[in-house]
Amino acid sequence: MSVVARLIEARAARRQKPLIAFNAATLRLGGKTIIENLDLQVRPGEFLCIVGASGCGKTTALRLAAGLYRPTSGAVTFEGEPITEPRREVAIVFQDYGKALLPWRTAAGNISLALEASRVPARERGARIEALLRKVGLPGHADKYPTEMSGGMQQRLQIARCLAQEPTTLLMDEPFGALDAMTRQGLQDEVLSLTQASETTVIFVTHDLDEAIYLGDRVIGLLPHPGRIGIELDVDLPRPRDQLATREHPEFLRLRRQLFDFIKATEH
Amino acid sequence: MKRAAILWRVASVLVAGSFIAAWQLVADLRLVSPVFLPGPDRAWAALVRGFSSGDLAGKLIGTLEHMAYGWFAASIAGIGLGALIGSSKMMRAYVAPSLEFLRPLPVSAIIPVAIAMLGLTQGMALFVIAFGAIWPIMLATIHGFAAVEPRLYEVARSLQMSRAAIIAKIALPSALPDILAGMRLSLTVALILSVVCEILAGLDGLGHWVLLSARAFRSADLFAGVILLGATGYLTSIAVSLVEQRLLAWQAAAR
Ligand SMILES: Nc1ncnc2c1ncn2[C@@H]1O[C@H](COP(=O)(O)OP(=O)(O)OP(=O)(O)O)[C@@H](O)[C@H]1O
Ligand SMILES: [Mg+2]
Repeated sequence: MSVVARLIEARAARRQKPLIAFNAATLRLGGKTIIENLDLQVRPGEFLCIVGASGCGKTTALRLAAGLYRPTSGAVTFEGEPITEPRREVAIVFQDYGKALLPWRTAAGNISLALEASRVPARERGARIEALLRKVGLPGHADKYPTEMSGGMQQRLQIARCLAQEPTTLLMDEPFGALDAMTRQGLQDEVLSLTQASETTVIFVTHDLDEAIYLGDRVIGLLPHPGRIGIELDVDLPRPRDQLATREHPEFLRLRRQLFDFIKATEH
Repeated sequence: MKRAAILWRVASVLVAGSFIAAWQLVADLRLVSPVFLPGPDRAWAALVRGFSSGDLAGKLIGTLEHMAYGWFAASIAGIGLGALIGSSKMMRAYVAPSLEFLRPLPVSAIIPVAIAMLGLTQGMALFVIAFGAIWPIMLATIHGFAAVEPRLYEVARSLQMSRAAIIAKIALPSALPDILAGMRLSLTVALILSVVCEILAGLDGLGHWVLLSARAFRSADLFAGVILLGATGYLTSIAVSLVEQRLLAWQAAAR
């Protein structure tokens, strides 16, 4: 077997190995079991969406993957190693962008925070910041304070800061929950183009079922009390996705139907 | 908006002007004996005389020095201790009760203790001024550190920032508005205590000047000293406000 073939094979094997894995992960907080026996594998480069009724444990599951919580029993691993603390290669986009940005730093300063943490030399930061702002559609807003920006712009800024971490994995918790429909669709496509190009692995929490199917390679539906997996759907829709064509695709409608029925049944 | 601001400014000048006019009137009509109450004209003359003879400037510098050293010491210790206590929930739980016991203690109760231990010295003055001025700063810092948005600490963790970087880049700037407000409050405390210490310990400063003038029934000199003290409090407070505005420019953007 040639070296090249072996390399390709090794790469394929690595792709099959999960990047993030929940192995019978259970989390109890304040005497309550919030996540129970969660088994879930996230493949490298995968775009995984998690949906579920409010309070079913989506945020908690994401925080486990981030290393902000540690499981009470079972394990959550990154590349096979148990996650004990957050790491720079895993970036978290919080839902409440207003609270996740430093109000005393400008847009450029907020992105710089991540660059400073990664020890990027000061003279390289300016160009990097400019490129990142352009990437998320905020060119020319470097000197604005977060409070001078709209919600959509603030969330873009938070995403830019996360990209500055050069993450291999993005964890997004209802990132567009507070935004209007138009801004939301625009940002969906931006996130897709940003992550597909760099083969970034994404775990994306949302309560919008359409959004989950539109974005994901796979959609997980959680059942509440305690949080566990209730449904798992592979999304076999062509990429790149398109706001009109994808949403009219018969497969999209079928999945949407299936997911709605599931959520309805959990709400009873 | 702008016009209202100008009107307020005009109104405040008018109030101050009529206050001085009323003062002059009371003095001219001799409603109070001139031995105790000089008119603004005499107080002003004493002020000018004091400065031209060089005495008063030296006293002013003495008071400013006492105030500045005490205030700086209080600021450094207050911010340091406040950060230590405020950034840990456990410290807050353990230390807060003793703080609540010490805080309402009037500083005047500490002065005899300080004199007994340190004598009538500059060191005693520094200790008393710093002890009195530390409270507003420390309590504001504790509050500021306790009120840092927890989400920002999670951002810092996910960026794997060092403890020092978290304090310098997240906690301190977040607590800065509180800290500066505390520092502005304690400026007044430092001035009052400077005067008290100068009077008690006979240290060179406006407090001493005021005391000697009162003993000698030189009411015009007394008032000159008091006016100078008032101006010192007012101007230093404005100076800190200006620094505050500069450092907190980002807050203006929010409004
Ligand atoms: N720190 C905590 N201590 C105790 N219970 C908690 C804690 N955090 C969350 N919970 C509980 O765990 C459950 C799941 O919370 P979680 O925030 O993960 O839900 P979610 O699916 O993200 O909901 P939403 O869609 O409303 O954001 C909820 O019932 C919540 O009350
Ligand atoms: Mg949530």
